[in-house]
Amino acid sequence: MRRYIFLLIFCLVIIPVSSVAKEADKVLDIQEVTSPGGLTAWFVQDQTLPIISLKFSFKGAGAVNDGQEKQGLARMLSNTLDEGAGDLTSQEFQKSLSDHSITLSFGSGRDHFGGSVKTLSRNKDKAFELLKLALNEPRFDPEPVERMRQANLKRIKSNMGNPDWIVARLFNDIIYEDHLYALNSGGTLTTLAAITADDLRQYKKDWLTKDRLLIAVTGDITKDELGRMLDDVFGSLPESGKKNNVTQIDVQNQGKVFTYNKDIPQTILEMALPSFPLDDPDYPALKILNYIYGGGGFGSRLMEEAREKRGLTYGIYSAPLHQEYMDAVVISTSTKNETAEEILDVVRTEIQNINAEGVTKEELQDAKSYLVGSLPLSLSSTEKISSIMLSLQLRERSIDYLNQYKERLHKVTLRDIGRVAKRILDIEKMVVLAVGKPEGFESSQEIKELPNVE
Amino acid sequence: MVKRQRPSNRYVILTLTALMTGLFFFVLPFVAQAGVFNAQKFTLKNGLEVVVIPNHRAPVVTHMLWYRVGAADELPGLSGMAHYFEHLMFKGTKKLEPGEFSRTVKKLGGNDNAFTGQDYTAYFQSISVEHLGRMMKMEADRMQNLNPPEADFISEKKVVLEERRQRTENDPRGLFTEQMRSSLFVNHPYAIPTIGWMDEIKTYEWEDVKSFYETWYAPNNAVLIVSGDITAKELKPLAQKTYGKIKAKKLPERMRPKVASAIGETKMTLEHKAIHQPYFQRLYLAPASSKFKEDALALYVLEEIVSGGPTARLYKNLVVEQKKAVSVGMSYSGDSLDYGTIWFSATPATGVSVENLEHLVDQEIVKVIKDGVTEDEVKDAIQRLQDQAIYARDSLAGPAMIFGHALTTGSTIDDIENWPEDIARVTAEQVQEVTQKYLSPYNPWIRPPVTGYVFPLDGEEEKKK
Repeated sequence: MRRYIFLLIFCLVIIPVSSVAKEADKVLDIQEVTSPGGLTAWFVQDQTLPIISLKFSFKGAGAVNDGQEKQGLARMLSNTLDEGAGDLTSQEFQKSLSDHSITLSFGSGRDHFGGSVKTLSRNKDKAFELLKLALNEPRFDPEPVERMRQANLKRIKSNMGNPDWIVARLFNDIIYEDHLYALNSGGTLTTLAAITADDLRQYKKDWLTKDRLLIAVTGDITKDELGRMLDDVFGSLPESGKKNNVTQIDVQNQGKVFTYNKDIPQTILEMALPSFPLDDPDYPALKILNYIYGGGGFGSRLMEEAREKRGLTYGIYSAPLHQEYMDAVVISTSTKNETAEEILDVVRTEIQNINAEGVTKEELQDAKSYLVGSLPLSLSSTEKISSIMLSLQLRERSIDYLNQYKERLHKVTLRDIGRVAKRILDIEKMVVLAVGKPEGFESSQEIKELPNVE
Repeated sequence: MVKRQRPSNRYVILTLTALMTGLFFFVLPFVAQAGVFNAQKFTLKNGLEVVVIPNHRAPVVTHMLWYRVGAADELPGLSGMAHYFEHLMFKGTKKLEPGEFSRTVKKLGGNDNAFTGQDYTAYFQSISVEHLGRMMKMEADRMQNLNPPEADFISEKKVVLEERRQRTENDPRGLFTEQMRSSLFVNHPYAIPTIGWMDEIKTYEWEDVKSFYETWYAPNNAVLIVSGDITAKELKPLAQKTYGKIKAKKLPERMRPKVASAIGETKMTLEHKAIHQPYFQRLYLAPASSKFKEDALALYVLEEIVSGGPTARLYKNLVVEQKKAVSVGMSYSGDSLDYGTIWFSATPATGVSVENLEHLVDQEIVKVIKDGVTEDEVKDAIQRLQDQAIYARDSLAGPAMIFGHALTTGSTIDDIENWPEDIARVTAEQVQEVTQKYLSPYNPWIRPPVTGYVFPLDGEEEKKK
């Protein structure tokens, strides 16, 4: 496989030509840059386009810290950090972004709180200056805070008729049950109303701290410029703040089937199985098993049986879900109400088939070929490269993880797959949610209300 | 509207849809030298047009074949045929088993997909450049040798019905938007949704399918686009060896009637128990960019001024300052063969009626018609649109998507490559003129818009507010 052109440039300039061939085996040449002030970032230099992408995350600073009474707080913070900072009002701040074609955004997941800046290199100083202001001197003026609150309230009301949103809300409540994860990270109509500017300030101070910070940068910038920028933008954040108070859990409600009655022509199905964390030695085998079972789209067991052979659905997928405090494999699909039971049967039967007969040598080989061969496709833009680097850091992977990716997958044997199937694919443990008017679900538990919405 | 089959997951659909509806007009090139993408072009003897977009960042390519046939070319009673046919293209040829096409792509570490619009049907694979030849061979094979077994022909109808349920029927808002389009395009095939009507999808016969294939699938009705680690010089022999061997066909004329003119404004209301938040949307008939290029350019500048983010007029005036809306936007789409559309949509703030908000949105349009826009607004908008062209290059499949859209909806390579220079010509006067021409409440272009109001079922209270 040929290496990236930016790698070539880097090698030619910095290291002797003799080592270029060796470098060519690398999937991605990530450098670790340490600023004069001691902050580090993962960096890929790429000067093919005059573009820079910076992505960062405060690990563990996500919505899981909201608390019952302030559900939606982290999200509100992500909405308001870029709504005025320093001497700039909300409109002045946004105008400056717009005038310089800078995209700056913040976002909060259940686990982490992050942000992203994309800029043309000619506007990089302005981009970093605005990011610095947003992170260090956000104003939380009454007008934008109220505007964002209203936008969130209306978003919830609009979504109350959206079947996919309803499924997600209910499913979180079922698989996490009493855990902090079960709360609504988007807020409820009640809790959003209670969030104040002081809450936002306090949350920022408690959680957006240097000890949690991870940074990834790709594009048209030098190492020296990057080092100086890191200190300037992030250097004044607090060293540390609060500690997380969250417990590790397993998938809740294992083995149960739930329905929620909604008058739509399809039933939307969501299922989960308990799984193991990312640092488990069987992780590469799980990745392959998932691909064969339902992760691969066309060619996967689920897609071939449910869509290609029986015409039951437009799509059916499985995916591993790895979070800080819970690991699962999730399966999702939809089918007309009349065939809801049949498709659930396909999901179960394919699990039983793999448990009884294992997977074939050919399936194992094909999965490896795809997972290895498609890796370069996930590195085809500046932002994609930053995203992958940030995700590797969040997952506590080593900096050369991608370069060993191929080898790690190739080592997986049929026996490994069999072992992981026994660990994960257990229909007795599967929790099922069906939203719609599914036929054949008479013995299920019916859910009547949407929790944590009003 | 674009319908695609075979997503690799639920979320990919969103990304690609955003790419396709959003990127086309941002396609602007920015490099003054030759053009934004420096695309290369040649045509095979059998009429197949080929565009190469070199991008040597990584050893990968996106290979796309676009056919100049879409939902708007279907016969009456066979709505959705173009899209259904696209699904069948994965169901085997004389050489390949059903499903073997996609399985082969996957085995080689690639991703494949396809999608259908009113004017085109497109197939693509993104894959390591070493496998490009094989992709071309397989794609050329299914251009002429499609041979799906009867069982697959029948089961795939069920899949498309499920697709329609998932995309449209599950949410009344989807059905309502579809109905608004139908009401706008009176006498024109864009009135029919790309995926087709439920009852007609059920009635396709094999003869209908065969005749659609034989009529439209030919090298002289297609555009091949390859972006990535390749040059025209390297691609040409591959193209000749694969697509080059297929004979051209005599193609029928594409029958496209005109939208009938009308004088009364169409207003539609939906009250539904699944709706909890009232809103309104309005749909105007607008020019296709290939037919009215200068007008289209000015409309893209207008869109940027009126709706390009939180400091643009609509959001700034109605959401930030007047507090009458929580969201509001306008979008122009001109990448169609016959007509484009302009959509407005707005969600009122608590205590504001939908009708009141509608009136305020109208006022914003009237302001542009009466007072125009400022030189500064135009200058800033042009700069942002030009900058977006730079960002558009930061992608493998994106540029291929842009060229495919353009070349199957009547635009040219030059229209894409010269976008930065073209958009820079737009003046404040032109922006005012196109607003007057296409959005005037008193003197509509061809026909007045369609306005849709959406309320909760027990929404009497909300309406009166």
